[in-house]
Amino acid sequence: MFDLLILGMNEILQVHILFIILLGVIVGILAGLIPGFTVAMAIVLTLPLTFGMDPVTGVAAMIGVFVGGMSGGLISATLLGIPGTPSSIATTFDAHPMAKKGNPGKALSIGIWASFLSSIISLFLLVTIAPQLARFALMFGPWEMFALIILSLTIIASVTGDSVIKGLMAGLFGLMIATVGADPIAGISRFTFDFGVLRAGIPFLVVLIGMFAISRLLVFLEKTEMERDKKDKQQQDLEKVKFVLQPIQTLKMVLKRPGTLTGSSIIGSVVGAIPGAGGSIANIIAYDQAKKWSKNPEKFGTGCEEGVVASEAGNNSTVGGDLIPTVALGIPGSAVTAVLLSALMIHGITPGPLLVTDEPNIVGGIFFAFFVASFWMLITQFAGMRYFVKVTLIPTHILVPVIFVLCVVGTFVLNNRTSDLYILLVMGLIGYLFTKYKFALAPAIIGVILGPIAEVNLRRAFMTNPDWTLFLTRPIALTFLILTVVSIVFTVLQTRRSNKRAAKNLS
Amino acid sequence: MGELFVAVMLLLMSILIFFQSGDFTHLNESQLGPGSYPQLIAILLGSLSLILIISQSRKLLKETSRASKDNLKAGFQSFYAEYKLVLQMIVLLALYIFLIDVTGFLITTILFVVIAGLLIGPKEKKNLITLSIVSVVLTLSTYLFFQNVLHVRFPGGLFF
Repeated sequence: MFDLLILGMNEILQVHILFIILLGVIVGILAGLIPGFTVAMAIVLTLPLTFGMDPVTGVAAMIGVFVGGMSGGLISATLLGIPGTPSSIATTFDAHPMAKKGNPGKALSIGIWASFLSSIISLFLLVTIAPQLARFALMFGPWEMFALIILSLTIIASVTGDSVIKGLMAGLFGLMIATVGADPIAGISRFTFDFGVLRAGIPFLVVLIGMFAISRLLVFLEKTEMERDKKDKQQQDLEKVKFVLQPIQTLKMVLKRPGTLTGSSIIGSVVGAIPGAGGSIANIIAYDQAKKWSKNPEKFGTGCEEGVVASEAGNNSTVGGDLIPTVALGIPGSAVTAVLLSALMIHGITPGPLLVTDEPNIVGGIFFAFFVASFWMLITQFAGMRYFVKVTLIPTHILVPVIFVLCVVGTFVLNNRTSDLYILLVMGLIGYLFTKYKFALAPAIIGVILGPIAEVNLRRAFMTNPDWTLFLTRPIALTFLILTVVSIVFTVLQTRRSNKRAAKNLS
Repeated sequence: MGELFVAVMLLLMSILIFFQSGDFTHLNESQLGPGSYPQLIAILLGSLSLILIISQSRKLLKETSRASKDNLKAGFQSFYAEYKLVLQMIVLLALYIFLIDVTGFLITTILFVVIAGLLIGPKEKKNLITLSIVSVVLTLSTYLFFQNVLHVRFPGGLFF
C-alpha cells in the first residue's frame, strides 16, 4: 500500500526539489494571504515557471503552492477577519474573535497545527484510496469513462454557482471551447473560421489564465471593490498587531480534540473528492458539523478552539481529497487540480486510471511532495508569519499591473506565440462576464480539460459497438448516468425549497 | 439583464457551431463523425440558453413595468463610475498586447506597468518613482529568467 509513497520518497528527497517545494509553499501562502487573490491564480501563474523542470519537480512545486495557499488564508482571516481566500470563510467565525480577545498568537498557532495535522490525515486517505480507485477504474470502457465525465461535470455544475442551469451552461461552454481545433480522432480542423491561430485549438492554460486571473483582476478594479479594499486596509493596521506564536502549547490543545480534528479532516477529504466542491464548501460544512457534535455549541463564534480547529482542518484536508479523483481517474475536482493535470499533459504524461500503473514514480512523487509541502507549510508558517503579514501592505496599484504582466508572460511562454495573447484577452473578458453574472467558472474550466477526453470516449464507444443502449445496459455506466440525473433533480428541488423559504421570510 | 446577454450570446454561438458542424469531411465512421459531438453540445447548450432567456425575460418584464425611463441616464452614469477603471484597464491591456509585437516586450511591459499603476493608484511623483523601479526590475528579471533559463525568446520589436 505504501510502496508508492516510498517510490515517491526516492524521487522527491533531493535538495533542489525540496527547495523548490519550499518556494512553492511560500508563494502559496502569500497568494492565500492577500485578500482577493486566489490559490487557483497562484498555481496557474506558477505553471509556466515549471516548464523547464522535469515532471516530478514541476508537479511537486505546484503541490507546494496548493498546500501553502490553503493555509495562507488563515493569517488574514484571523488578524483582519477577512478571508484571504474563499476557503477560509469559516475561519473568521472563531479565529478572529479569539484574536480580538487578545490571543492572536494562539489562534494562528492552533490554525497552523490544525492545517498541518489535517493535511497528514488526508494524505493517509489519499495514499490508501487512490490506488484502489484507480484499479477499479481500469475496468472502465469508453462507455463508463464518458458517463463518469458527464456525472462529474453535472456535479460540478450543481455545487458551484447559483443555479444548476447556469452551471450546466458554463460546463457546456467549456466543452464547446475544447472542440475548436483539430478533432481528436480524425485530425480534421474544426471551427477555426479561417484564423490560423485557432487551428491548434484554444490552449487550455490560456483559458485558465484568462478566466481565473484576468477576470479576477478586473473584478478587483471595480469601484466598490476598490473602496472596500481600502477600507479593510485602513480598518486594521496589520503592522501594529503584536502576537506571540505558541507552537508547543497549542499542539497539545489541538491533540486534545482528536474527534473534531479527524472528523473535520474526513469531511474535508470527502468534500474535496467531490468534483467542484473544494475548500470553500468544506470549510463551512466542517465548522457546521463540529458545532452540531460539540458538547458546548453555544461557545462557537465567540472564539473557541474547536471552531478554529474544525474550519482550518476542513479546508486543508480538501487538498488530499481533491487529489484522489485527479490521480486515480484523471478527473480534476477543482481548477487547481486541473492545472496540475495540464502540467502533466505538457510533459507528455496522460492522466487517467492508467497513471498509477504506468507512471508510479509520478504518483508517488505527488504523494510525497504533499507530505513534504505540509511540513514546509508548518515550518514556514511558524518561522515566517511576521514577514508574511507585511505582504498585505503592498498597495493594489502595484500588485495589479504586476500580475497582469505575469499573466501575459505566462501565456506567451506556453507556445511562444503573441497571437495566444488575444485569446487570453477574449477569455479574460468572457471570464469577467461570467463572474459578473454568476455563471460559475469551475465547470467551464473542467469542461475545457475534460472535453477532448469525453469526445474521444464517446466516439470510441460508438466505434467499438454502434449500439447506443450499451450506455444503459452496462451496470457501471448506468449507475453513473442515474447519479447524474439524481444530482440534477436533487439540486433543482433544493433550490426550489430554499427559494420558497426565502420568499416566506420576506413576507 | 446581464444574464440575458450572456445567454443570448451562448445561444448564438451554439447556433453557429451547430450549422458549422454539418460539412466536415467524413471518414468511414459508422455513427459519429467529427461534427456530431460538437452538434450534440450545441443542441444542449442552445436549449439551456433558450430556457434561461425565457425565464430571465419574464422576470425582466415584471421589473421594467415598475422602473421609469428617467433613471436611464443616471443609471448609465453610475455604471460608468463603477466600471470606469475596468474599461480603461481592458483598453490598456488590449493596447499592450497589440504593441508587444511592434515595440517589443521590454519597452512595452515597462510602460504598461507604469501607466496601469498610475491609472489605478494616486497620480503622484512618489508613486511614479516606485512604479518605475518595480516595472524595470520586474521586466528585466522575467526577461532574463525566461531567456536564459527556459530559452524563451520574447518578441524584440522594432528596436532590438
